[in-house]
Amino acid sequence: MSSPLILLPGDEVPSEYLPNSSAPLRLGPGLRLLSQPPATKPSKHVLTATQAGILSTDNKRNAVSILSTSNRRYVPTSNDLIIAQVHHSSADYFHCMITPQSPHALLGQLSFEGATKKTRPQLKGGDLVYARVLSTGLGPGAEIELTCVNPATGKAEPGGLGPLNGGMVFDISTGMAARLIRASSSSSDQQEGVAGLVVLDELGKKLEKAGGFEIAVGRNGKVWVDCSNSEDDAVRATVAIGRCITTIDEHNLNPTDQRKLVTRILREMKIES
Amino acid sequence: MNKEAPLSIAERDFILDALREDVRLDGRGADEFRPLKLSFGEEYGHVKVQLGKTSLIVRISAEVAKPHDDRPFDGIFNIAMELTAMGSPAWENGRQGDLETYVTNVLDRVIRHSNALDTESLCILKGVSCWTIRADVHITDYDGNLIDASCIGVMAGLQHFRRPDAVVKDGQVIVYGLDERVPAPLNITHKPLSVTFHTFDEGKLVILDATRKEEQASEADVVIGMNNAGDVCYVSKFQGSPVDALVFVTKTTVALEKVKHVNGIIDKALQADLAKRSKGGLAEQARAENDRPVA
Amino acid sequence: MGGPIAVLHPLDRADGSASYKCPSTGSNILGSVNAPIELPGRRDALKPEEATIEVFVKPGTAPGGVGERYVEGILRTALGRVILGREKGYPRRGVVITLAIVGGESVGRGGSYLPLLPALLHTATLALLSASVPLSVTLSATVLAVNSAGEITREPSAKEVTTATSLHVLAFTSKGHLLLNESEGTFTFDTWDDVYERALAICHGSSTFGSDGDVAMAETTEGQPLDGIVRDTVEDHIHRDYAWKIDAA
Repeated sequence: MSSPLILLPGDEVPSEYLPNSSAPLRLGPGLRLLSQPPATKPSKHVLTATQAGILSTDNKRNAVSILSTSNRRYVPTSNDLIIAQVHHSSADYFHCMITPQSPHALLGQLSFEGATKKTRPQLKGGDLVYARVLSTGLGPGAEIELTCVNPATGKAEPGGLGPLNGGMVFDISTGMAARLIRASSSSSDQQEGVAGLVVLDELGKKLEKAGGFEIAVGRNGKVWVDCSNSEDDAVRATVAIGRCITTIDEHNLNPTDQRKLVTRILREMKIES
Repeated sequence: MNKEAPLSIAERDFILDALREDVRLDGRGADEFRPLKLSFGEEYGHVKVQLGKTSLIVRISAEVAKPHDDRPFDGIFNIAMELTAMGSPAWENGRQGDLETYVTNVLDRVIRHSNALDTESLCILKGVSCWTIRADVHITDYDGNLIDASCIGVMAGLQHFRRPDAVVKDGQVIVYGLDERVPAPLNITHKPLSVTFHTFDEGKLVILDATRKEEQASEADVVIGMNNAGDVCYVSKFQGSPVDALVFVTKTTVALEKVKHVNGIIDKALQADLAKRSKGGLAEQARAENDRPVA
Repeated sequence: MGGPIAVLHPLDRADGSASYKCPSTGSNILGSVNAPIELPGRRDALKPEEATIEVFVKPGTAPGGVGERYVEGILRTALGRVILGREKGYPRRGVVITLAIVGGESVGRGGSYLPLLPALLHTATLALLSASVPLSVTLSATVLAVNSAGEITREPSAKEVTTATSLHVLAFTSKGHLLLNESEGTFTFDTWDDVYERALAICHGSSTFGSDGDVAMAETTEGQPLDGIVRDTVEDHIHRDYAWKIDAA
């Protein structure tokens, strides 16, 4: 992408930006198909944007979508990994909060790896789970369903799905959450890091001696951090990681400044690296 | 509704564990305010307060009205605060919540009942007309400690505000426009501010200027209102678990230091704004204001 | 005087926000949008297949009253036409728009809200864009005052409003269609036609519309068209949000 194309609601997607393939086009969020019979045009359908953002095309998947503002509220989408908070439980389900002031999502009591009636986890209100959005339902009033296993294999895939014990969650923007997921799922040796983020690699290197850390990123704008291996430094290391990530999110720091920030905050929090 | 979503157990536990090690999520000390920024708008009495991620706008306005029958020599001063969905998605528009009632009540007591604004000086003609001063507090971002932030905003606004000049001629009240006559500053008798503390771990840990998450994780809150001279004008502990009386004594010293510090920031911001205004061709006006004897 | 100043996402807690300042009318509005959220006690909305739009206007130095409820109605209708309330995640949920008048002269009791209406519309539109609420089009609006001599003043000051014989607020979609028209006072059809032409030029520039419905932007005597200001503000913000991606490319 040399110069990004920014569209506003109502703008048409120019056909030269669409993937060149005969396979059916997949429409991502922020776009809709309108049927118009304009006399001057050969095609009867036009793609228009419904959200403001950068037009993003994926030639491999033959998909096109809009990358919209990074601070928006999370809208559950199938297959997204999220960090949900249990609100209460009923006979068959845990009722979970994905974002505040939104309806609760359902997580089956048996939707955990190896869970049976006897071995299912006993979660109470306020507990956190790392889960996948299974379905969002159709039409108004549809309920969102979550799961902590892959229904096909019965395993917690990818690893780490299930209850999150201890640690701390920090709130981040949904845009940052998406970037962190990309950055944490693929490690790269690039100078610029993945998705413009070097913070995780940098923290990983510097905290290795102190015992390292565990991290889980939810698309709903939450990041869970646990440093229980660091023993004495656990609390300070967790706070340091949280501060690094939230500061970078807030100020949109570039890789150079991210490195500087990590060094500065670790020094401030008196953590040896 | 009008309630923030509850904290997760992990957050609650972690905030407490960290405080036990004297660590706060933003790296502050227990007795440290978040960075405070004050800016003034074009109009008199228009203040923007940014305290960490909590932000609000205060607007002071004046109107001629009839004084209350039982107090013919007094003007009227009101503080109006309405929480809207702008400050937090958890707040519902047009519906009063507990927080709104609580904060309004504390502001009333710290500023209004301590007579920070001399209402007698607002009288124009006994029993017939007086000034009504209204302070509107608009919460634009809520991340904890509404009370202190609003207090700072209202006090800064009152000191920044200039009301139009009014005279009585032959029993008639004449109000001059801001451009006709030099407007008058309000008569401020003292500068009270509040300092809010939150307690944790059975009252053993006390922090000030809590963020929203810290507030939610805390056991109780203590509000101390005082001025630069150290006169305490308000102390409250409304709810939550018991707090040792010694906390009030020791924290009053901390509060005094903070009040002086914050009042210093307000003074500095006011002076900077005055300097800016005088540069903008209003030099005459600014000087006249300074020379005006305080009644 | 200079053109209006708009900022996207100045606030932290709200899902989307914008501030908009119009120097000539002196209005300064801060707006926030929370969406999609659950509206308590309204689970059985009249139209369960659509989002419920709530607009709240908070005056700067006075308690809210009839005037605010009236202008909220106008805003809700106009914005309801551009918000796609049936998109995924929106049916049965609420789009809560809060607009606070944070600067400029307050509307007195019984005073007209028309001079403020364009600023309110712009703030709401920008805040909706910042919250990524699905919209069919964007909009821009202006207010014009006509005085007894028949002169049309764009975005009149408070003084000019008091001497005007009629006031007109017109809003256009980004496609150039008239979306809203609120007029006050006495005027003739011919006056209204002039007002319409002028308003369209202010919002979209005086260029002609292309056959594909796109508007070619042109700087004219009216300065930058308002529609272009909305677009520039959003593009600047998106550029900043995705600086990491754009710089790397």
